[in-house]
Amino acid sequence: MGNSVALTGYVFIVEEEKEVAGKDLGLLQEKILQLNWGVQHPASGPMRLKVWVDGDEVVKVDPDIGYVLRLLEKLVEYRTWLNAIVNVERACFIDNFGTMTGYSIAAEKIAGVEVPKKADYMRTILCEGGRIVSHLIGLGGFIGVLGVHTPSQWALIAREKFLDAFEVYSGQRIATASIVPGGVRYEPTSKFIEKMIEAVDYLEKEFIPRYGEVFIDNPTLKLRTRGVGVVSKEKAIELGLAGPALRASGVASDIRKDYPYAAYGELDFRVVTKEEGDAYARYLVLWEEIQESAKIIRQAIEGLPEGEYRVKFPVKVPPGEAYVNVEWARGCFGFHLVSEGGTGPYRLKMRGPSFANLWAMPEMMKGVKLADIPVIFASLYMCHGDIDR
Amino acid sequence: MLEEIKDRIKEEFGFETEPYDTNMLLVHATKERIRDLMKFLKSYGFKYPHTISVVDYTPKGEGFQINYIIENLVEKKFVIVRVNLPEDELRIPTVCDIFPPFQPHEREAWEMFGVEFVGNPRLEVMILPEWAKGLYPLRKSYDFKKHRKEVRKGKA
Repeated sequence: MGNSVALTGYVFIVEEEKEVAGKDLGLLQEKILQLNWGVQHPASGPMRLKVWVDGDEVVKVDPDIGYVLRLLEKLVEYRTWLNAIVNVERACFIDNFGTMTGYSIAAEKIAGVEVPKKADYMRTILCEGGRIVSHLIGLGGFIGVLGVHTPSQWALIAREKFLDAFEVYSGQRIATASIVPGGVRYEPTSKFIEKMIEAVDYLEKEFIPRYGEVFIDNPTLKLRTRGVGVVSKEKAIELGLAGPALRASGVASDIRKDYPYAAYGELDFRVVTKEEGDAYARYLVLWEEIQESAKIIRQAIEGLPEGEYRVKFPVKVPPGEAYVNVEWARGCFGFHLVSEGGTGPYRLKMRGPSFANLWAMPEMMKGVKLADIPVIFASLYMCHGDIDR
Repeated sequence: MLEEIKDRIKEEFGFETEPYDTNMLLVHATKERIRDLMKFLKSYGFKYPHTISVVDYTPKGEGFQINYIIENLVEKKFVIVRVNLPEDELRIPTVCDIFPPFQPHEREAWEMFGVEFVGNPRLEVMILPEWAKGLYPLRKSYDFKKHRKEVRKGKA
């Protein structure tokens, strides 16, 4: 044998290709291996992915959820109209303002209560603060699954500044319970405004230039995420993707623009969309939305009107119902709230955007390589609190 | 746009509609023609499904109410399709082949309320643990105390 490769001592074995049928099929099926991806998932909260692989090609993915079920929709039924925010905000603690705002707007619609303008502006400031905080974790977590943990630490430093502002405002850093039906709970003090501006300054002047220089136009990151998990515009709607994942496929769906609530109708901002629809596009949507949110906060602080920040909300609310959507950090969060004339909600159905993204994921993961699973998973930007509720 | 849809639904299906909110229309449908109505709405651009919200009105003697919420992403309009089911006949044809994202929502409604979506390929417990199958915790008749686990008192 004059083959030089064989001379060096390497032996190559080429498997014979043959048709399989009958009882041999069983042997072939054993080649498909089931992996457990979880239950303490590195990219976000507790869940398990059952992954069937053939070699390193993914055949099928099936999520196993329910590890953080608290049955919030049931617990709300045992609360008063105001107390219920405590359960509603725990849908996901990272951006708790969005869920509280949605619930409060639904309750106000049923009760026919009009909130003062100052409360609307405060809600906008807090919601955008929550969005920034959540997106920062999303950015850090996205690179985190690729094995680089520095960016998530940088993002957490920027996040701390916002948490400081929330602490000055409500006394709590994470579960603030600060937005209630009828307005917001506390008067926005000058100390809070000062802290908020400080946080936005840090974000815009320190975090964004530094992070953008290293982790946005990064060749390794692009190599790893471009063209991974591509979803076209039509497919994104058909799969029912929500939030940043939907906008990264070119669908300009943003509740803040489409059905303005709080003070969004009066502020100037842009809906971030990307055409590519891959994991990198979803990452860039988060990145650009942070910058838009910082602009919204500055505008809302400038335009913060004088006056009352809260009006009285009735103890008993007349029978009625409302379906309200808010643009939460992870997508549109829907609240179907029903009142039967009692002192608390009769039924609250929460539509979580992460639930929609999660069940679109198995379709997106068909036929990808095993190493792309964490990339697609993290790029869909899910929170387990609102999957299980 | 909603006015036009309203007339078409009245004409083709004979269903009553009422305005729900700005940008939203509420349709009172029946379970026999729910699939036809969903196909019709999808062809009208209501392609983005939001959720299925079940409301338990059994204490009032009105059975269960199922709300399908879908959105038109181009025209920015919502339609809520409402079907009432009596308590003793909780069966409705599935719409998950028309709107695939509704499949897990139907599954959740099944495990939480016991509404059977006939034709849904996957009615298995999803969020609840396996032992809680058939308890239907979001029903009004669910008794928290009855299903509470025993707490050991005193020294272990």
